[in-house]
Amino acid sequence: MKTTFTYLLLIGIVLVSCKKETPLDVGDVDARRYVAIGTNATAGFADDALHYDAQVNSYANILAKQLSSDESVDFNQPLLDESLPGINLDNNSEFILGYKTDCKDTTSLSPVRKASQGNLSAFNQNTYASAPFDNLGVPGVSILDINTVGYGNSSAGAGNYNPYYSRMTSSEVNGSILGDAIARNPTFYSVMLGDADIMTYATSGGTSGSMPSASGAANVGFDGTLDEILAAMSGTGANGVIATIPDVLLYPYFNTIPYDGLTLDADKAETMNNVFNPIGMTFEEGDNPFTIECDCNLPYKVRKMVEGELILLSIPLDSVKCNGMGSINPIPDRYVLTLSEIDEIQTKIDEYNAVILQLAQTYNLAIAQADDLINELKSGILYNGITMSTNFITGGAFSLDGRNLNPIGQALLANKFIEAINEHFNAQIPYADVTKYHGILFP
Amino acid sequence: MSRLILVALLLPFAGLGQGYQVNLQGQIQQGMGGAGTALMQDASALFFNPAGASFIDRSEVTLGMTPTFAKGNFVENSTNVSDGTTSPVGTPFSAYGLFQIKDSSRLKLGIAVYTPFGSTVEWEEGWVGRFALTRLALKAIFFQPTVSFRLTDKIGIGAGFVYSYGKVNLQKDLPLQDQDGEYAHVELAGSGHGFGYNVGLYFEPTKRLSFGITYRSQVDMNITSGTATFTVPASVDEKFPSGSFTSSLPLPQVLTFGLGVQANEKLALALDANYVGWNAYDTLAFDYENNTESLEDTKSARNYENTIAVRMGGQYKFTPKISARLGLAFAITPVQDGYVTPETPDANRINYTAGFGYKLNDKFQFDLSLLFTQVKRTDTNLETGLSGTFKTRVLAPGFSLSYGLY
Repeated sequence: MKTTFTYLLLIGIVLVSCKKETPLDVGDVDARRYVAIGTNATAGFADDALHYDAQVNSYANILAKQLSSDESVDFNQPLLDESLPGINLDNNSEFILGYKTDCKDTTSLSPVRKASQGNLSAFNQNTYASAPFDNLGVPGVSILDINTVGYGNSSAGAGNYNPYYSRMTSSEVNGSILGDAIARNPTFYSVMLGDADIMTYATSGGTSGSMPSASGAANVGFDGTLDEILAAMSGTGANGVIATIPDVLLYPYFNTIPYDGLTLDADKAETMNNVFNPIGMTFEEGDNPFTIECDCNLPYKVRKMVEGELILLSIPLDSVKCNGMGSINPIPDRYVLTLSEIDEIQTKIDEYNAVILQLAQTYNLAIAQADDLINELKSGILYNGITMSTNFITGGAFSLDGRNLNPIGQALLANKFIEAINEHFNAQIPYADVTKYHGILFP
Repeated sequence: MSRLILVALLLPFAGLGQGYQVNLQGQIQQGMGGAGTALMQDASALFFNPAGASFIDRSEVTLGMTPTFAKGNFVENSTNVSDGTTSPVGTPFSAYGLFQIKDSSRLKLGIAVYTPFGSTVEWEEGWVGRFALTRLALKAIFFQPTVSFRLTDKIGIGAGFVYSYGKVNLQKDLPLQDQDGEYAHVELAGSGHGFGYNVGLYFEPTKRLSFGITYRSQVDMNITSGTATFTVPASVDEKFPSGSFTSSLPLPQVLTFGLGVQANEKLALALDANYVGWNAYDTLAFDYENNTESLEDTKSARNYENTIAVRMGGQYKFTPKISARLGLAFAITPVQDGYVTPETPDANRINYTAGFGYKLNDKFQFDLSLLFTQVKRTDTNLETGLSGTFKTRVLAPGFSLSYGLY
C-alpha cells in the first residue's frame, strides 16, 4: 500500500513540470537591425527629462525586445548614467513624486525634481564612440530637422542645435539623424514624427514654434520631408512601421486644471465684480471661468475663459492660489490654449495624419495607431486588472510631466506597434506584458 | 493609482467538482466517479445519503483523506506569457461515525465531519493576473449530526443538520507602486460559519435495485468580522485604511437522484445526477468598515448558473476481500464566459476515477481512490480584463480506513 501511495505522489509531481516555448514568428519582418527614428517617446523622455529609466522603457526599446527571440537584444541606445539623475534643456533633473508645500502652507503629493540639478555633464559628452546607435529618438526634434546636417553642432550656439542629439551624433558638424540612421543599414525601422512639432506649439500656449505646413518640399513641408525620410530609410530595402500622431490635447498636461476652476466666495465675487463690472464682466459665488489675457479688442485685453479652452500644467499654481492669477490678474497667454489655437492644432494633427496614412501606403509600412491608444486611454483602458486613463497621476499611463508616457504607457504604445506589424507583415510577435512595466511610483 | 477600487474576489480554485465545490467525501464513491446516493457501502453514506445510512447493518467509523495535487497554468492571450501555480497540496478529509443504538434497531445516529471545499491556490510571484489574485486559501469544515431511520425493509429516510465553520485568506496586488516598484498588496482574512441541512430518501425495491434522493441545502458562509490589511506606499496609507470587512459566500444547494444496481454478486453499478443551485453565487460583495474615495465597498458580479453533473461508476469484487472500481463524472461548469477568475478557472470537465478496496478482516476495510481531471478555459474576464487560457490538472489520490462493529 505504501508503495502505491508513493507512486501516486510521483505522478503528481510529474504532472507539475510541462511548459511550452513557442518560437518567434516575425513574418515578413527582418529584425536583424532595427532602427528607430522619433521624438520624445522614442528617445525615452519622461517626467520632464531624459533619464535612464525612461530610456530603457521607451516603446522602441520594448519593441526591440519583443522583436528579439532571445534576451540579448542588439539595440543600441545612447543611455545616460543609471546612477545619476537625468537632464533636460533647463538643466533640471526628472520629476519624481514627492511632497510640496504650497503658498498656503498646504503640503501634498506633487511632482518634485529628483535632484537640485540635472546631470549637466551628459550634454558635454558625445557617446557615439561607444557604439553607433539604433535608437535615434531625439527629444523635441522637429520633423524638419531629421535631415539637418550639423543638428548636433554645439558650436552653433544655444537654440540652434539639439543637445540631446549632440551627445549621440556621429559628427557634430557633419552628422544628421537620418544620415546616422541609414549608416546602420537597417533591415527594419520605425518612425514616429510630427508630434514634437505639435507639442512645441501646444505646450507654449501657441506662443512659440510654428507647426510646419502639411504640404511642401523636403525640409519645408510635412509631406515632402516625411517622403524624403521614408524614401531614404526604405532605400536600404528595409521594411518599416510608422506611427500616427495622437490628439495631444487629450494629454493630462492640457486637462488637469479646469477652465472654470476659479472658485469664489461671496466676498471675493463682490471684489471681482467691483473690479470687472465696469468692463462688462460679472462673477458669481461658486465656480467661475478663469480670466485670461487676450489678443482682442476688449478693454485691458482681459476676458473670461470659455468652455473648451485649456489651461496648461505649466501654469504656476502658487500664483493662481495666492497672487490672483486667473482672477484679478489674467492668466498669461503662454499658459492657455484658446479655441482658435485648439482648432489650429487639431487641424494640423488631422492633416499630418492624412499624410502619414498616404505615405505609409506608398512605402508599404505598417501603421501603429498611436492616436487610437490615446483615444482609448481617454475612455479608460482595462489591462489585466489595471485601469488606466488620461488623468494626471491617477490615470497611471502618463509620466509626471503630464505630456509624456511613463513605462506602462510606453508598453501600451509598443503593443500598438506590434499590433500593426503583426497585421501588416503577417507576423506573430508576442505583445509586451504591460504589467511588467512600472507606472507612477509613490513615496 | 489606476482605479484603486478593490476588485474583490474570493473563492477557491478546486479542480474538483464544479465551481468551488470539492466532491471528495468518500473513497468508495470516489472510485466510482463520485456516485453513491443509492449504493450504501460504508459510513460515508451519512454524507451521500443520510437515509441510506440506516441500511448499513453495523456501527462503523470511517476516516479518509485525499491529498490533492493541482497544477494550474495561465497563458496570457496577447503576450503568450505563461505563469503557473505554486499551490501546496490540498488535504480534504472526512470522518464518519455511524452508530446503531441497539442490535436490529431501525434507527441509526451518525456524525459526519467533512470538507466540501478547502484548498489553497497560489500563483507564482509576479504573475500577470496578480491584480486579480495572488493567493487564496479557503478552509471549511462541516459538522453534520444525522438521524437515519429505516421505515420498512425497503424505505429509509434520514436528515442531518449542518454546521459549518470556515476560514478564508485572500491576497492580491494592487496596481499601485512604491519607489522601488513594489506593488501594493491586500490581504483579506476572516472566518465565518453557516448552517444548513442534508436530507435523503432511500428506496430499495429489490436487493438488485436501489434509488436515492438527497437534498443538501444551501449554506451561506457569513464572514462578519474579517480583517483587511493593506500594504501600500506611505503617501497613500490614509486612503487604504486597514480594518474589518464583512462578506458572504454561498455553498450551493444540491439535489441528487441516484440509482444503484447490484448486477450480480460481484458487480455493482452506481449512477448519480446532481442539480446544483449555483445561481446563488450571483455577486461577491465586500463591505469595508472604513471606506475612502479609493477604498469603496465592492460588488463583483459572478453570475454563476445552475448546473448539472452526472456521475457513474462500477465496482467489481474479485474476491470477498478485494474490489476494484472505475468511474467517470461529467460536470457542466456554472461559470459563464466573461466571469472566469483565477480562483475558479472552471470549465466543463470529465473526471476519471479509479479505486481499490481491501477488506483486511471483518472489522477493517481499506480503500484507495484516484481521481484525475483536467480543465481548460479561455476567457476574458469582464471585470479585470484578464484574458487568456487557464489550464488546470488535478490528481487526487485518496485513502480511507473503516472500522466496523457488527
